Amino acid sequence: MSTDDLESDLTRRTENAPQELLTRSFFFLCAVLSIVTTVSIVVLLTTEAAKFFTITAPLMGVEGATASVVDFLTGTDWVINAGEFGVLPLVSATLMITIGSAVIALPLGVATAIYLSEYASARARSMLKPALEVLAGVPTVVYGFFALIYITPALEVVLPSIGTFNMLSASIVVGIMIIPMVASISEDAMSAVPDELRQAGYGMGATKFDVSTGIVVPAALSGIFSSFILALSRAIGETMAVTIAAGAQAKLLNPLNPASYLEGALPMTAAMVNLLTGDITGGGLAYRSLFAIGLTLFVITLVMNIVSDLVAQHYREEY
Amino acid sequence: MATGTDTGPGTDTAGGFGQVSRTVGVVFRYLLLAATMFGIVTLAVLLVYVANDAIQPLTADPGWYLTFFVTLVLPTGVAGAVLARRNPAALRLGAGVVAILAVSLLFSGGVAMVFVDIVSPILWLTYLLSLAVGFAGVVAIERFDRRLPFLARFGLSAAVLAVALFVLPGIIWRSPVFPTDGLIVGLTLGGVTAALVGRGAAARRGRRAGLAVGGLVLVAILAGTMAGPAVGVDSVPAAVLLSVAFVPTGAYAAGAAIDRPQDRTGLGFAGVVLGGVVVGAVAVDALGFAGPQSWVNWGFLTNAHSGTAANAGLYPAIGGSILLMATVALLSFPLGVGAAVYLEEYAPRNRFTRFIDVNISNLAGVPSVVYGLLGLGVFVTYLGQPTGTVLIGGATLALLILPIVIISSREAIRGVPDDLRQASYGMGATRWQTVKNVVLPRAFPGILTGTILALGRAIGETAPLIMIGAPNVLFSLPTELSSKVSAMPLQVYAWASLFASEDFYTKAVPAGVVVLLVVLLSMNSIAIVLRNRYEDEG
Repeated sequence: MSTDDLESDLTRRTENAPQELLTRSFFFLCAVLSIVTTVSIVVLLTTEAAKFFTITAPLMGVEGATASVVDFLTGTDWVINAGEFGVLPLVSATLMITIGSAVIALPLGVATAIYLSEYASARARSMLKPALEVLAGVPTVVYGFFALIYITPALEVVLPSIGTFNMLSASIVVGIMIIPMVASISEDAMSAVPDELRQAGYGMGATKFDVSTGIVVPAALSGIFSSFILALSRAIGETMAVTIAAGAQAKLLNPLNPASYLEGALPMTAAMVNLLTGDITGGGLAYRSLFAIGLTLFVITLVMNIVSDLVAQHYREEY
Repeated sequence: MATGTDTGPGTDTAGGFGQVSRTVGVVFRYLLLAATMFGIVTLAVLLVYVANDAIQPLTADPGWYLTFFVTLVLPTGVAGAVLARRNPAALRLGAGVVAILAVSLLFSGGVAMVFVDIVSPILWLTYLLSLAVGFAGVVAIERFDRRLPFLARFGLSAAVLAVALFVLPGIIWRSPVFPTDGLIVGLTLGGVTAALVGRGAAARRGRRAGLAVGGLVLVAILAGTMAGPAVGVDSVPAAVLLSVAFVPTGAYAAGAAIDRPQDRTGLGFAGVVLGGVVVGAVAVDALGFAGPQSWVNWGFLTNAHSGTAANAGLYPAIGGSILLMATVALLSFPLGVGAAVYLEEYAPRNRFTRFIDVNISNLAGVPSVVYGLLGLGVFVTYLGQPTGTVLIGGATLALLILPIVIISSREAIRGVPDDLRQASYGMGATRWQTVKNVVLPRAFPGILTGTILALGRAIGETAPLIMIGAPNVLFSLPTELSSKVSAMPLQVYAWASLFASEDFYTKAVPAGVVVLLVVLLSMNSIAIVLRNRYEDEG
């Protein structure tokens, strides 16, 4: 960039003055802190998780109880006191929350984005957008309480067999929570679609409906998909709402069977909170299982974030 | 498409013209609107329910409502309607004054709490004096001896600051005479308020008027502080209320009255609203009408947790949240802004910069429990800190919101026009001088907005605090960085899960939720107001 060259030309002679060096290194250290954070998350989670598994524990010099990797990944029981650490029930519960919240948030979020970017007047937009921000700003512990105290009893009227703790109400509040994320990222993508395309559509005699669904949405598809992935990764990592509303009993449920949403189960994040609020001894097997779940969670969300980034980068329509 | 616009070449185009169906478009439009409103309406309904459970408006006497209707609602409605037709700008000014008073009252509650139970005013004065002496020393060094090379000046300044912070407090501490607590708070906070008000007056009416107004304000605050105990308010809260809430609101109103004489009627509107509240309160008291039996009451705000829901309160959790907020702000603001400045102003366009970039956006997506694990593993297990203290809680939350602070600060810095930077370089300024004098001042409102929103996220976080072992129930306020801390959302979670009796569900939890949401929404609205003003100017 020409202005960059100009700036470096202008500032080159003073660059090594002590004052400049000092401030530059301070700012640099601040930026590097983010890398230090990532590295410490990765190192911490992998070393602690390594102490948990039988295969890797000797490498870490850990003696005593460990768990087998195969049992962890394929076991269908999560009973800490019995020493059974099968992660599948937790993963299935997390999957249910993800599917359930996706059913609510993805269509509503995209519809909101279309409305905001194509239909709403500037005045309506200036009122709706802060209101949507409030949806995302309410603490998750409050959403969990809402699900347990107000939404579950309301659902009980329609579905009498629903449990006090159930996946349905948890999915609903998580869905509401992530609507703003889908809406705002999708809306950004839709606003970036050039007006010429819309005008070309109108020129061909298309209605507003045709232009929105036939031109704007396809053109913004990569942004919409990346908003889906980011929002779902947020749903997977969501903790307090599911801890309060989904229950504390680990159970292997079939995520594709609608009836299982009436039961309670234990998602991964809730299992971590339960491990810590229960009595666990520091350094024990249960303590280390915490990091094994944490690693699983971190890897899933990291992969989703990277995929979302790649989708947004590589499939973006350039105009 | 169902609208019939994409008729193919084989169909009867002449007949298709003029028959574009509007139904689909209209139905689609209203479906979109319904989808947009779904989340907002659901949340609104839930909020009405929780407010009803917490405040119980139906338990009040009909006479109570009637009184307030006559003194508050009716006059406000009439005055508002008249102003909305004649002079909407005045109505906005009046509503703004009422809003500023409400938010600043909330804020002064938090500040008063800090001085009553967390930091003793004497300690506060000690450190304030030491810091003032230190900074005076640094300014003197910077100003009077430009001949010293930069590094020598820097070292000298650092030494002066260190002496001021570590040696001076011990000396001041031994001083035999101290003003009373109320006077200390009145002098320090009131001094700042008086200086700001005086500056405003000086800008409008000249230096002498500024000095006079500032002096008057300080005297008034001190007099109010002394008079407080006579009307039943302790001197420290009285000083805080005056210097944080009443005087700034009054000064804002007075400034607006001078600057916008055509909108002065708006102040009358504010007077009608506030007068209505006061008259109504006095009237219901005199007539003996009982208000709603709200669970959010003085006792709830000032009690600690208790075994019975009716006596349980949020006080230690509120104090904990305030202290955590302060720690998080102190840690994340400089680090986040620093990183943003590096990435926007200094970083060369190479792979390493791109890597930091991707890394930050990925960190923003890491679940908060994982940050909790990071805090637990690094601070507790490896660094051997005790669990659940203010320091590690604040540090963990600061790491959590750091990516958000960085991303929003970068946006604010990117919004500074390049012409300004080039003009600064053209004058011979170095990069740091440009950042300090041009970029940061211009980007500051945007950075502040982003930081407040991020702090709002931190104040609502529960999972990381559970992970680092913050106690669910705490009976006293934390007084130093190494004492255990609870927080509002954590206390609400504890009531909702550990003390899962009917009583706690129906009383303590809704009340806690209402307090938490009021704090959060006022923080968010401050941020949104700041942003709107900033966008208007930019």
